[in-house]
Amino acid sequence: MAEAQVPVTVLTGYLGAGKTTLLNRILSEQHGKKYAVIVNEFGELGVDNDLVVNADEEVFEMNNGCICCTVRGDLIRIIEGLMKRKDKFDGILVETTGLADPGPVAQTFFTDDDVKARTRLDAIVTVVDAKHFLSQLAQGDEAEEQVAFADVILLNKTDLVSDDDLEKVEDRINSINRYARIHRTQKSRIELDAILDKGAFDLKRILEFEPDFLHHGHDHDHGDEVASLSFSSDRPVDPDRFQKWMGALLQLKGQDILRSKGILAIDGAPRRYVYQGVHMMMDADWGTPWKDGEKRSSKLVFIGRNLDGENLKRGFEDCLK
Amino acid sequence: MKLDLANPDWRTALPPSRSVVADAPVAACAFSRDGKTVAFALGDGRVRLLPADVKAAAGAAPEPVHKGAVLSLIADPNGDGFLSGGDDGRLLRIAPDGSATEIVSQKGKWIDKLAAHRSNGAFAASVGKMALVVDRSGGCREFGPHQSTVAAVDFSKDGSRIATAHYGGITVWSIGQVTLPPRRFAWAGSHVALKWSTDGKFIATGTQENDIHVWRIAQASDMRMQGYPAKVKSLSWSADARWLYTSAQPVFTAWPFAGKGPEGKPPLQFGEEGAGLITVVAAHPASEFVAGGYDSGELQLGDIKTRRSVVLKMSDGSPVSCLAWSPDGFQLAAGNDNGDLLVIDLRR
Ligand SMILES: [Zn+2]
Repeated sequence: MAEAQVPVTVLTGYLGAGKTTLLNRILSEQHGKKYAVIVNEFGELGVDNDLVVNADEEVFEMNNGCICCTVRGDLIRIIEGLMKRKDKFDGILVETTGLADPGPVAQTFFTDDDVKARTRLDAIVTVVDAKHFLSQLAQGDEAEEQVAFADVILLNKTDLVSDDDLEKVEDRINSINRYARIHRTQKSRIELDAILDKGAFDLKRILEFEPDFLHHGHDHDHGDEVASLSFSSDRPVDPDRFQKWMGALLQLKGQDILRSKGILAIDGAPRRYVYQGVHMMMDADWGTPWKDGEKRSSKLVFIGRNLDGENLKRGFEDCLK
Repeated sequence: MKLDLANPDWRTALPPSRSVVADAPVAACAFSRDGKTVAFALGDGRVRLLPADVKAAAGAAPEPVHKGAVLSLIADPNGDGFLSGGDDGRLLRIAPDGSATEIVSQKGKWIDKLAAHRSNGAFAASVGKMALVVDRSGGCREFGPHQSTVAAVDFSKDGSRIATAHYGGITVWSIGQVTLPPRRFAWAGSHVALKWSTDGKFIATGTQENDIHVWRIAQASDMRMQGYPAKVKSLSWSADARWLYTSAQPVFTAWPFAGKGPEGKPPLQFGEEGAGLITVVAAHPASEFVAGGYDSGELQLGDIKTRRSVVLKMSDGSPVSCLAWSPDGFQLAAGNDNGDLLVIDLRR
């Protein structure tokens, strides 16, 4: 029992953004770590490596018939298979194709008990092509959703755009998802510890933001565009009410809420309660303990479409003691 | 059959047995067709062979034959050795002396499921979205592609068909000389385990959503059994096809298929409650016995006629990952995630 959970990094990004370059770097650089890499197309990687596994990428719909409740069964099979190896891994990277919705991949790590017991979703890393991002947004939902799901963003190919254009791209990313940490890169060059083994999602990034974001005015005119919202409070959270509220909320609005995540101060609990959800699926666990005298505040983040800020705020406040 | 679960000694000590530590997770185990050898598929690429006679001297650990983990293993239906599949995309024939010859090599694919027909010498393998069937003379045919990776494969009783499990249901392929169109049986979700009943009438699957699904092949009607706390990854039909044993319960759980079938009936449950859930279940090849391995490490033997059972402890709490009966039904092999290999002789 209690084997350490292997951290899983999901690597997504539009075609040509620089994912393959990044993967080749991870596979070929000397970093003393052992990563299994699950790819959708073998051929794209120049490296011949036993640790590269080919995946199916087809998703299956669950029996509840909901269109957002889709999971990657091949990932479950592959992770179970990898765990049969004698040599264990420091981490697992899952690459998704350029046009794939990262939702099913992330949901796989919330759905399957065997996978949950042995791995933990560490972070979703999205590689964004600084030159083509704005035009990719116009071509469909994929580029927007890849940014929406991200915990970490590699804003790549920054050498190919002017500073002004780079600002514009960064602003647009922030309007979709202000809680992802952005690293500006060229040729996908980045220190691996900036993207791998971040410890759940990037908690610090979430806490960096001012708590009263909503009061600064939330733009309700986004319509169908993805946006992000956060709420916080210094009052303790009632765990039962929170579970009930979040469960009902995601059941009702889970198709629109792409991601939800939070760090909660539960009434009377010595540790942080770390929560995250993808569409309708959610997972929570105890995090690090609160220090003596530390201010115990809770923070909750939503990233999705048609977010009703007032309603979410009221719902969250009803969970407070 | 002289297998007596009332043997009081077994409650305190294992029956005569052989225990070997292999230092790598065990994915599968099997007895050879002649019953003389037991093989264990290991996570370090080795296939460890042991004499079935628990008192005979065991050889040293062999060199790895697969590059990564060995994922599947069955008795060779055409000899007294074994067939193994690995995450290196290779399917090997392992002779009784341990030497390996390659039958298939498909780099980048995993060969994680194998099944053989009991008498006609054919075997089947899952290779990505294809199912591969190799007949007695070595002729190889592919069936597919399926809409997703083939998650499990099994033969019909008469050996004329195979069934494959995948997303959205199962497919039955005719593998005889006359090529018939495949028959698809739909049920939403991902099907992760599959066993064709020993009388050929039913096909059972375990699904990703913690239930089992059973199709009556002739009528194409189906049934769903819900309420498991975990995925049912192990299914086993009793030799007389009257019972379908399933894993993922703390006691032996058998659905009644005699007479009108299990519709509207609860499963028969018996045995001592384990600390965890049953991970592997294996019906005896000839009689009313059944063996179960737990994720908490216990092994239990049961007798469905008398509902008696005996718990045989197996080393520490490592989950039991595989079980196999010898062809004569007097011996039982088991392996676990820790790499403990066990062969028990139940003869009295
Ligand atoms: Zn849904």
